[in-house]
Amino acid sequence: MALIELRDVTKTYRRDAEEIGVLDRVTISVEEGEFLALMGPSGSGKSTLLNLLAGIDQPTRGAITVGSTEIGRLSEGALASWRARHIGFIFQLYNLIPVLTAFENVELPLLLTNLSKKQRRDHVMTALGIVGLTERASHYPRQLSGGQEQRVAIARAVVTDPTLLLADEPTGDLDAKAGAEVLTLLQRLNREYKKTIVMVTHDPHAAERASRILYLEKGTLSQHQPVGVGVTT
Amino acid sequence: MKFTGLVLKSVRRNKRRTTLTILSVAVAVFLFAALRAVLDGFSAVAAASSATRVVTVRSTSMIFSMPTSHEQTIRSTPGVEDVTYANWFGGIYKDPKNFFGQFAIEPESYLRMYPEVLLSEDDKRAFLQDRTGCIVGDGLARKYGFNIGDKIVLQPGIPVYGSQDYEFTVRGIYRSGGSNVDNQSMMFHWKYADERSTPKGQIGWFVARVSNPDQAARISVAIDQQFANSAYETKTDTEQAFTAQFASWLGNLNMLLGSVALAVVITTLFVAGNTMAMSVRERTTEIAVMRTLGFRAATIFSLVVGEGLVVAIAGGVVGALLARAIVNAESLGLAGGFIPMFGVNNLNVLVGLALSAFIGVMASIIPATMASRLKIVDALRRVA
Repeated sequence: MALIELRDVTKTYRRDAEEIGVLDRVTISVEEGEFLALMGPSGSGKSTLLNLLAGIDQPTRGAITVGSTEIGRLSEGALASWRARHIGFIFQLYNLIPVLTAFENVELPLLLTNLSKKQRRDHVMTALGIVGLTERASHYPRQLSGGQEQRVAIARAVVTDPTLLLADEPTGDLDAKAGAEVLTLLQRLNREYKKTIVMVTHDPHAAERASRILYLEKGTLSQHQPVGVGVTT
Repeated sequence: MKFTGLVLKSVRRNKRRTTLTILSVAVAVFLFAALRAVLDGFSAVAAASSATRVVTVRSTSMIFSMPTSHEQTIRSTPGVEDVTYANWFGGIYKDPKNFFGQFAIEPESYLRMYPEVLLSEDDKRAFLQDRTGCIVGDGLARKYGFNIGDKIVLQPGIPVYGSQDYEFTVRGIYRSGGSNVDNQSMMFHWKYADERSTPKGQIGWFVARVSNPDQAARISVAIDQQFANSAYETKTDTEQAFTAQFASWLGNLNMLLGSVALAVVITTLFVAGNTMAMSVRERTTEIAVMRTLGFRAATIFSLVVGEGLVVAIAGGVVGALLARAIVNAESLGLAGGFIPMFGVNNLNVLVGLALSAFIGVMASIIPATMASRLKIVDALRRVA
């Protein structure tokens, strides 16, 4: 059963009088439990696609359904609540809050839930345990290596047990070793914890870790590489 | 409550900037509380003034004196029960900086007229019996370490009292029994000062007690009429009106001090607002990340306003505590005896704290709106 359905999604931006097309009638479906890699050159629209899936941007035309929710129909407030419940987002530059410890960074999305302090603590320690950083819970981002920061960011993304994990170039700012660790972790989350993951990457080695790869070129899906099941253009 | 930690962490993000903002709010609240203390002091004096006492001064100005013969005329005015009189001495105690009120009084009638001057019977007796004796307020005694039996030497500050030093013996230490009597003054026998005065027999002001407060205005007019067209015309008012007039001589205090306070508050508002806006601009990406995690715009708005409130109220607490410590410090004698009940009271502290909260909210409204309306994608793109 498809967890994500994009139907004829088009995204354009307006710069002064000029209309710039970013995505052009993209249709994708992603199965639950899939690990999908989106590849493509800069400006191909892959990050825009990820933002649309996260509900932090709206398509100009077309519909996006995640689970049973067509997210384009949600109000701003409802969309924020939906993100809190269903989306775990991993950024290229980690984007941890510098004044918060690793523990507090991971706890951040849980502040939006009704969990008690003890329950929040248990969830945070579990998430940090998954990424292997329980002993770094009290460290601030500046006291962590890039790889560790990204693992904390992954813990923050999974701590609410979201429906969907979205990763935007998660290894783009890491050295090869740290990048490999992060990719192994994402693979583990997909295989052991059955997380559905959509990852944007430039790196073919990173994309190989995914169960399916899609290529975007100039806003449309391309057939340069064998496309997986359930993908139509 | 679960967001409190987040707010406090954000406040501590840039300690120097936060400290400076706290200090700017503290200065505003300190000035506000101190200026309110001045106004409240005058109001308290007016409120505590007796309705049965009327004060007579020269119609031209209070600085001109009247002859002692006025006493009998005032005393004989229908409705007047008792009369006393006093002079401003204006002497120098060791150094001109040691300013405090010194009054040459007719002791028996003055203490009768002002039961608010609380003096033990023994001290009162000793004072009345000693021509060079004086009584000092307990605040003044604490400030200069005066004890009963001590000698106080004053150098005359007004030429009319001659050039020779006056030596007094402390015979009593009084307490204030009302807001219209300060505890920072010194009183001594009018006769002692008069002996060396040139010309002699001069009075600064008379105070008369009237039998019926409803008749005070009529009696005041009657007193003044008796001196009309004389060389020493008078102006008589109720004690309350006299006090209010005294304050008004300093100008429209309410408006003056109010304007100063308002200017300080508005300036602080701009400073704090600019600081908050700067702080929010620096955190554009963080705010976008929080929005991505699911924080609603309203929650972001509340967090920014919360930060503004914490910083401003911290400043308010510092300012209010400083005002209490400095303005209320008797040893500093900031009011110099002009305002008997001078101090920052609890109400002023509360109003000061409310003012700081107002500054906090107002200064953070625009930055909070900016933060809550942030377009997530644009904000993330700015850094990525």
